[in-house]
Amino acid sequence: MKKNISTKQTDRDILFAAAEKVFSKSLVDEIRGRGHGFLEAGGEGAYAFDTDGNRYLDCSSSAGTFNLGRKNRVITARLKKALFETDQGNFVMPSEEKAMLARRIAEFVPGNLSCVLFGVTRGESMEAACKLARGFTNRPGLITVSGGCYGESGFALSLSERQGKEQFGGLIPEVTVVPFGDAQAAESAIGNRTAAFVMEPIQAENGCRVADREYYARVRSLCDRHGAKLIFDETQSGFGRTGTRFFFEQTGVEPDILIVGEALTSGVFPMTAMIFTPELKQFFDEHPLIHLCTFGGHDLGCRVAMAALDEYDRESPWINARETGEGLLKRLGRLAGKKRALKSIAGRGLLVSLKFASGEVARAFCARAAGHGLMVETGRVDGSCVLLRPSLLIGKEEESFIADAVKKTLGDL
Amino acid sequence: MGYDRWNRMDVQERDYVQHLFGKHISRGQVRYLRCAHLDIYERDRQGCTVMDAVSGKKFFDCFSSAGCFNVGRGNPKIREVLQKALDEWDMGSHHLLSEPKIRFAEKLASLCPGDLDKVVLCASGADACAGAIKLARGATGRNGVITMNKAYHGHEGFSLSANGKDYYKELFEPLMPGFHIVPFNDLEAVRRIASKDIAAIILEPVQGEGGIHVATQEFMSGLRELCDKLGIMLIFDEVQTGFGRTGKMWAMEHYGLVPDIMFTAKSISGGLYPNGAVVYRDIKVLTDYVEKNPFFHTSHSGGSDLGCIVSEAVLDYLVENRVWEHAADIGRRFKDGLMEIWRENSHVIREVRALGLMIGVEYKYEFLGALMAECLAKQGVWAVYSGNAPEVMRFQIPITARVEEVDELLARIRAAVNSMKIYLVFLLPLARIPMFRMILDNLKVQITTFNLIRDLEEFVSRYVLKALEFRG
Repeated sequence: MKKNISTKQTDRDILFAAAEKVFSKSLVDEIRGRGHGFLEAGGEGAYAFDTDGNRYLDCSSSAGTFNLGRKNRVITARLKKALFETDQGNFVMPSEEKAMLARRIAEFVPGNLSCVLFGVTRGESMEAACKLARGFTNRPGLITVSGGCYGESGFALSLSERQGKEQFGGLIPEVTVVPFGDAQAAESAIGNRTAAFVMEPIQAENGCRVADREYYARVRSLCDRHGAKLIFDETQSGFGRTGTRFFFEQTGVEPDILIVGEALTSGVFPMTAMIFTPELKQFFDEHPLIHLCTFGGHDLGCRVAMAALDEYDRESPWINARETGEGLLKRLGRLAGKKRALKSIAGRGLLVSLKFASGEVARAFCARAAGHGLMVETGRVDGSCVLLRPSLLIGKEEESFIADAVKKTLGDL
Repeated sequence: MGYDRWNRMDVQERDYVQHLFGKHISRGQVRYLRCAHLDIYERDRQGCTVMDAVSGKKFFDCFSSAGCFNVGRGNPKIREVLQKALDEWDMGSHHLLSEPKIRFAEKLASLCPGDLDKVVLCASGADACAGAIKLARGATGRNGVITMNKAYHGHEGFSLSANGKDYYKELFEPLMPGFHIVPFNDLEAVRRIASKDIAAIILEPVQGEGGIHVATQEFMSGLRELCDKLGIMLIFDEVQTGFGRTGKMWAMEHYGLVPDIMFTAKSISGGLYPNGAVVYRDIKVLTDYVEKNPFFHTSHSGGSDLGCIVSEAVLDYLVENRVWEHAADIGRRFKDGLMEIWRENSHVIREVRALGLMIGVEYKYEFLGALMAECLAKQGVWAVYSGNAPEVMRFQIPITARVEEVDELLARIRAAVNSMKIYLVFLLPLARIPMFRMILDNLKVQITTFNLIRDLEEFVSRYVLKALEFRG
């Protein structure tokens, strides 16, 4: 597939120089160091393009956003039509778009999670979730687990295991961090001052770490016993990524609040959501317009998300994610035994983590992989991991391509 | 599956949509907007008007989603740019560079005064506010932030901590420590707190949600001087005031000074595709910090390829059409018209405040906010009062409004004020009794009463009038 956009070498250099000036030199250097010193020029299906006419199998998917592939044709076509019929709308108003998408989400998400608040960034939905839990329970305590990565905004950052966050001064108080997977620690921490227990049920950025089913069940019952709310962040694991619609279906428990990311539109429009139980909605009934977001519930975004949900239902990509993911894990598992640099493999469905000896090796892997047409990033929490998050619609051909590219890159190291 | 029916609605269909909204999002919000006939369903979103899907009536959009539609609603040029861009682009990857990102950032910086040359791409006003505060705290190594009473910066952790209204905060406490609220335009109050422990002073040059309060020159110059002296970062929130709204490209230009950091969002989206940005001065303390921490504030949704293509087109449109000059011209005409209405009604209207097309009308009584919204809606004017000041009605029409449209809008506002006078005959005497005044100003009482009236109106129009028609 050859792109028709082409930037000459000189144009590219000029643009990189401009980026150094307007953003920062270190940002550009860092991106170059990861082997991504090119200008992205859109994508299609499983692939991303650059302005030099190269294509990469996009195994980053902008951190689990492009679940139905890059620039999904059906969703894009619906946006093209909708943009002449509607616009952002006035954010304080109810609208048909918001109401219909909310109903659609309620149908799509399993269990009792039938209420919605729309957002525009993934962190922001975490803000809303923490606030809802505090507001509803009238308690201050927020408990989270080690290794979390929820976003860069206030509450999200306060809960995240994020290097250097102390430089941002005093963050949100009453946040307690307990070790992931440690039921005893959770039991000691959760009490009648706890508003919510917050976690990613599978920690994508932390080597795809999961707990055993007993842990989730224990946390659920502790929350129930103390009247605390359970918040699951499925920004990266939602919409089929791990082989089921949502990862929580594999844990055997249902959260009170579920956070979903831009996979809601498969990366055609910036939109995220907080999905919660009817019990919690009472808070927004009693306190209307207490948490506002100008771009959240964007009418055009709602139309795009509806198109994406139709596509999710039509494609059931979780089935392919499960089957292809299993195949990929098997092939990569064989490599882990043979290649010294690769320590282990973990993951579910098409959310796969390759663990290396160090962050340096992992970064070198990303840089070399680009040369083999594979676009990957290291984990944000555990930098010695490299994540594979391709489109959920990849076939055997792409599965083989990924496995071969990983093998070749390992050979380079 | 495949819901695709976006035409006119009848009353039953509207009731169903309201039912769904109430069931899945917020019943309270439906009741809140329904009470002042503000529950319209927008169709034909063009220029500065929309059509209500149920009544077919034309409404002037005087809210513009708090100032998102500076290029007008459904701007055909921006729509075309987005449509075309969809052939090639999607959101793009947050961890890569692309031509749209770089070109937009460069163009934005080139339109900012002074040495505001450096950009961080964000997704929304709140996201950008978080970025700005993180930048100030990170670069100065200080914790304190001075913010203004009635300020409105957003609802995420940083911006919420900087908000100047308790309603938005008190149910979610404790928030971030180190935020100090001072009265707007009170330089002495700022001086009392300002010290070398303060990272930033953050303010909107014109408070939007706070009730259209314009910062004075003296206040702004004093803040700039104080910040220079103590190494404090001066942050302007130009989310509502930017992109021509106040009669200049940026509100800061009225004061002849630049902040160290400013952030923006809303109108940069063209009303079509979310985007936002922090712009900061190329000065050692900030530039060095970002060079050391290039990922201090990253965003997956912000600075998307499609968003940047749309935003660049918005900037081109603003510059080509010198939209800020039009805002100054029609803002003057609009304000003059409102001043005339004020002179005729000075017993209920306290003041008209404006900078360009950011206009506020303050009533003498808080309860008039909801009542006036109702009277305006009946005249086909969709306006809401300030979130942080219910006694102030905001008029922030899309800047593309034509002179004749402003004149028509003024005529409608005049008619609405006249119709409000009927209610005032009995409400004003009641308002002089403190206990009644308290009841009248109570939001819950307003919502319940107006909803009851609305129920009665709908009952009459649906059943009584139908029955009479049938008998006739």
